[in-house]
Amino acid sequence: MSPLNRLSMILVLTTLLLVSGCNQAPEAPQSMGKIMGSSAEGYTEVVQGKKLTFPLDHQAHNDFKQEWWYLTANLTTESGEPLGIQWTQFRIALSAPKNTQEQTLLSPNQWQTNQLYTAHAALTSTHSHQIAQNWSRGHPQLAYTHTEPFTVALKNWQWRSKSNQMFPATLSVDTKDFAYQLTLISDTEFQLQGDQGYSIKSADNSVASYYYSQPFIKVTGSITRNGKQQNVQGDAWLDREWSSQFLTKSQQGWDWFSLRLNEQQTLMIFQLRGTAENPAFYSARLMNKDGTGRNINSRDNPNDISMTPITWTQTALGKHPTEWQINIESEQISLHTKALNPQSDMALSIAYWEGPIYFTGTHQGNGYMELTGYH
Amino acid sequence: MKQSLLLSYRCLTVFAAHYRQAPIQASAILVGIILAVTLLIGIKATNENAINSYSQATELLSHRASVYINPAIDADIDEQVYFALSQAGINSLPVLEGVATGPNGQGWQVTGNDIVAALSVETAPKQTIQTSQHNTVLFQHDIPLSQLLAGYPAIIMSQSLADRVSPSRIASLNQTDLNVIAISDDAGLGNAILGDLSLVQTLLNKPSRLSYIAVYPTFDTQSKTSLIKQVNQALVNANIDISQLSIQADDDGASLSALTDSFHLNLKAMGMLSFLVGLFIAYNGVRYSLMKRQSLCVQLMQQGVTRNSLIISLAVELVVLVMIGTALGFIVGLQLSQWLQPMVALTLEQLYGARLAPGIWHWQWLFEALSLTLSAAFFACIPMIHSLTRTPLAQASYKQPQGQRYRALHKKQFNIGLILLITSCTLFAFTTQYQYSLMLLGGVTVAIPLMLPRLLSFLMTAIEQINLTGLAQYAIAEARQIIAPLSLAMMAMLLAICANISMNTLVGSFEVTLKNWLESRLHADLYIRPGSEKMTDLSVFLKQHDNISGVYSQWTADAHIRQADQTQPIAISLVSRDLESLKTTTALKDKTANFWPEFTRGKQVMISEPLAIKNGFKLGDNINIDKIASTLTVGAIYFDYGNPMGEAIISDTLWLQSSLPPTPISLAVDYNGELTDLENQLSQSFGLSSSAMYSQQKIKAEAITIFKRTFSITLVLNSLTLIVAAIGLFSAATMLTQSRLAPLARLYSLGVSRKQLQLMALAQMLIMVLLTCVIAMPMGALLGYLVINKVTLQAFGWSIAMVWDWASYLQVVFISVISCMLAVALPLYWQTRKPLISSLQQEAL
Repeated sequence: MSPLNRLSMILVLTTLLLVSGCNQAPEAPQSMGKIMGSSAEGYTEVVQGKKLTFPLDHQAHNDFKQEWWYLTANLTTESGEPLGIQWTQFRIALSAPKNTQEQTLLSPNQWQTNQLYTAHAALTSTHSHQIAQNWSRGHPQLAYTHTEPFTVALKNWQWRSKSNQMFPATLSVDTKDFAYQLTLISDTEFQLQGDQGYSIKSADNSVASYYYSQPFIKVTGSITRNGKQQNVQGDAWLDREWSSQFLTKSQQGWDWFSLRLNEQQTLMIFQLRGTAENPAFYSARLMNKDGTGRNINSRDNPNDISMTPITWTQTALGKHPTEWQINIESEQISLHTKALNPQSDMALSIAYWEGPIYFTGTHQGNGYMELTGYH
Repeated sequence: MKQSLLLSYRCLTVFAAHYRQAPIQASAILVGIILAVTLLIGIKATNENAINSYSQATELLSHRASVYINPAIDADIDEQVYFALSQAGINSLPVLEGVATGPNGQGWQVTGNDIVAALSVETAPKQTIQTSQHNTVLFQHDIPLSQLLAGYPAIIMSQSLADRVSPSRIASLNQTDLNVIAISDDAGLGNAILGDLSLVQTLLNKPSRLSYIAVYPTFDTQSKTSLIKQVNQALVNANIDISQLSIQADDDGASLSALTDSFHLNLKAMGMLSFLVGLFIAYNGVRYSLMKRQSLCVQLMQQGVTRNSLIISLAVELVVLVMIGTALGFIVGLQLSQWLQPMVALTLEQLYGARLAPGIWHWQWLFEALSLTLSAAFFACIPMIHSLTRTPLAQASYKQPQGQRYRALHKKQFNIGLILLITSCTLFAFTTQYQYSLMLLGGVTVAIPLMLPRLLSFLMTAIEQINLTGLAQYAIAEARQIIAPLSLAMMAMLLAICANISMNTLVGSFEVTLKNWLESRLHADLYIRPGSEKMTDLSVFLKQHDNISGVYSQWTADAHIRQADQTQPIAISLVSRDLESLKTTTALKDKTANFWPEFTRGKQVMISEPLAIKNGFKLGDNINIDKIASTLTVGAIYFDYGNPMGEAIISDTLWLQSSLPPTPISLAVDYNGELTDLENQLSQSFGLSSSAMYSQQKIKAEAITIFKRTFSITLVLNSLTLIVAAIGLFSAATMLTQSRLAPLARLYSLGVSRKQLQLMALAQMLIMVLLTCVIAMPMGALLGYLVINKVTLQAFGWSIAMVWDWASYLQVVFISVISCMLAVALPLYWQTRKPLISSLQQEAL
């Protein structure tokens, strides 16, 4: 899911963290260029052909610049109300592992870290969209990953499994305004995005990340909003991604979708919106429950994918296309998607739009949409 | 009506023309107002800013917390408490504070917190979707997170502190070289030195320890009580022993405000005094300019200007001058407060542990200053304006004999002053609250200058009795005449000298008292505060040490005295020491007949003088301390200086019988030999940092430093007042120049040389100033006596033996004389320099 947005967020975060006079940094192309040129240095690079191994790669890769664990879920309450839930935990390395500092450390303690964690959470219904963010330094008691039982935690927001595998697990998030506690079950194989998990993020191959997903997760659990607890169930989708590179400037806007076509098939599709000089770049993966799938992109199959905005919604963050027509000719897919709640701004340290959607057409179902770069 | 307004306008244009001719008159008035308002606003801004800081004070780089978790018994708490809260989803911030030693042995308060938690704590009201970005505060300051989180030796200071203490941006604390990162003063660090916990725990040698945890609400409308409940629950769930913790709601700065009340009131009183001195100058200016325009006003009336129009125009003129002066004084005053604030901040930090936020100011202050100045100006000047316009028209432009009038006025002033002085001094016997004492002190302060002109005349008359001849006799006789025009400036000078003398007396006396007290209070060679975990081993080690002849223990705990009338319990520190230490080191002010045996039996308690005075406890009173099961009788009151907290001491047997922590907090040892050897031994064997060990000398030095800082602001204000008074004298002497040209010219034409004239004029001024000083000495001493024995005793609870510091009085007199001479030298030079012809022509005019 939506690696690009994650990348952009990390890009901005790390820029802010590294540049002194940080408030101006994102607007100062000169200093940004500087950072982009030098900061991947010392971090491990993303290379094609590396084999991902599980459960090891579920853990944090502290030698890479950035990383995230990301879950979206389309749920319904016992009374049939449709809901969307998002949880993302980010890891940001503040310095490269081999970074040789001239200063010497005093004697070590657990507070010392070069890892910063932040997490986003959202709960969306047709009439409300609640969001929250949490921060912490990397610390074995505050924000961390753990091998057995597999855990990804930021204070009291925790993904906790019973074994060294990711599933089955419970995910609990408790914020000022809402809370959820979900049981996640999945017995299908992870889907490696791109070339065996090596996922290209630009038409010219210059930016890539390691990226895998689990688009078939069954969810049961409860949510709490306005002090009232309700039972929920539905489907969830997990994305895992890590890398050390930044996005290029031409990749500032994209539209990303995760779609459940039926019980057996899911579709991840996104476009990097084009500019006058660069045409839009489309990429998709059709994923089957048996672990197989098919990659489609506009470089290899130029006119196969089309994504067209139908309706625009003005939100606090800007004008967003909340209704789309999505077609993949070679797969005879033609979908009309609508946002469950068109006002799904994620007004956090990085602002973007993200929320549950549903669709009709050749298939019927639900999923999630992420929109960035709209003002 | 329209006609009269028109006439008033005409008068104003005439007055404007007058001031263009005599700019010195307008500037004299303006200078007075500017100086008065400057000092008023300077001190107001400083005070308000400090008081405001108490209620606004936040955790460093973060927000104000709702609840604090402090150690109940130990010196600090385990960081597991913080982890338990975080894992329960309770927003909190771990803080470790301690003293680190600089290269020259100076102690520096260092604070460590989890910088990420500090910057990302959310306490703002619920974020709506419209606020597009939140939490970006993490990146608001130029803080190199990567370095700090990694535990690299780097500390953060405000720009201004860094410039002051570490221009090289390298600091050495506890033998560790640290990079100093200066961030904008707007971040509100004040004089704090902040580091990330990863560094500070190591630097202070307190691994896994925290001083306290600041807790924030979990949801927006959460009450403090509900938060405390939630914290308790979370800690109990995590199997943490909450009896070791003190979990309390934040009091919005109330306790700090209460502690610092007297400090601010004293500062405010100094501000009002300076304001008064400034107003004297302004008043003098107004009076002089009216006197000069007496004939002009009569002429205007002769030409048909009505009295009402004249009064209106004079009033408008006064309002305009006050407005200009106040506006300028406001600006300069804010600047002055910028300059005073670091000084006040240091005092408040060192004495009360209060941290000041960056400066603030309000337009409201301008309006307050304006209304205060305006009402003072009208109150002082309207009778003058009124009487001026009552001058009979027939009197025309001839000068009226003023001597008679002044004599009557001075007599009246003297009588009022005398009555005021006697009344205030009598009432002093009955005050027990420093607020009232300060008001009475104000009465004395006003009375003293009122009596000055007549006292000066008396003294001049006395000098005249001495058989003087020729020029000297003339000089004295003439000096009597200039008492009247200079009286206001001399009054201001008198006030400034009195204030200086009284404050010097206070500071000098306090220093002597404090030193004597420290001498008796500190008996051991080395005081050690090792932390509870090392205490047992350390005391065994010390007791077995060959060169150590005595080991003394001290216990302390926070406690409250319950009040019978259900009012707020009084927070105190409850202390105990071994009996021998107590008997030899406690300076008792008063005790009951059978005190020591009763004390040892655990029936009686001794309380500190500030606690007794502020709460009205007397010998024989029964008090209930929450940590002690039985009711205790106050058996003795002991002197305690510089400690803002009230203190009560119980015997060690009673301490150990009660449910109080049995481990002492600190130890004191008598050591035969080189103290540094012992210190080195302790730091090697027990890992004690130098901030955990205090030699007697070090404690004394620090106490005296803190004391000096406490009074530095007062001394600065005193000097400012003296400067203001000197400026007043300068402007008065300048105005006097005009009227004295003629008599001097006459003397010159009678054959007195120019040099003799200059000498004579100078001598006259010198006599005036010296006589003022003579009057100031007893008056200053009186003020000093009242400040020491009434105001300070009542406000701080410190008995101070008054010490006559003659050297410093002479110094004040010397400084006053020098500043006066400098102030009048130029006008005098002008007086005697002008061409004689023109001076003689003055005579004819």
